[in-house]
Amino acid sequence: MIALIAVAYVLLAVAAVLFMARMLIGPNLADRVIAIDGLLATILAGVMVNAASTDSAISLDTVLVVALLGFVGTGVLARYIEQRGG
Amino acid sequence: MDIIAGIFLIIGAGFVMLAGVGVVRFHDTFSRMHAAAKAPALGLLCIGAGTMLSVRTVPATVVVVLIVVLQLIAGPVSAHLLGRSVYRRARPDLQGPDELLGVDDEARD
Repeated sequence: MIALIAVAYVLLAVAAVLFMARMLIGPNLADRVIAIDGLLATILAGVMVNAASTDSAISLDTVLVVALLGFVGTGVLARYIEQRGG
Repeated sequence: MDIIAGIFLIIGAGFVMLAGVGVVRFHDTFSRMHAAAKAPALGLLCIGAGTMLSVRTVPATVVVVLIVVLQLIAGPVSAHLLGRSVYRRARPDLQGPDELLGVDDEARD
């Protein structure tokens, strides 16, 4: 179980590095918004893997709240792009 | 049971990593959005299944089902909002035919 959790963490770390690379080199604002959204999904996945590895449900509420906030943030940035241009 | 949970976690993390690969490798904003909108939802679904199988209590199951359902609803909605604003304002070069030409003209400047 420890080895499987470690493999999952490594895969999520690779995903976070790739999303951060796109966030740095993204040509326009929409690419950066996409990368930030994916980075947020990676963070949510990491917290859920942590909850699975420690067998505690405490941090799952945090995942729920952060998922809601990420949806609101992406919607607000989409409105910003639509009104001000990307 | 823990082995099955770990396998689910690895499958979900692999899907999230494939989304990262797609976001870095693809050449178009809409292609990147295609990679970043679908794969993390499936990855979070698999990781939620693994978490449920690992924790095995009723509150954890309820919260994980809420997270997965919220992600499956909010992901397509936010991708739709972002894609519409990108089509109307950023206007990337499309590699195929423009299906919305003449349909979505009223909000473009």
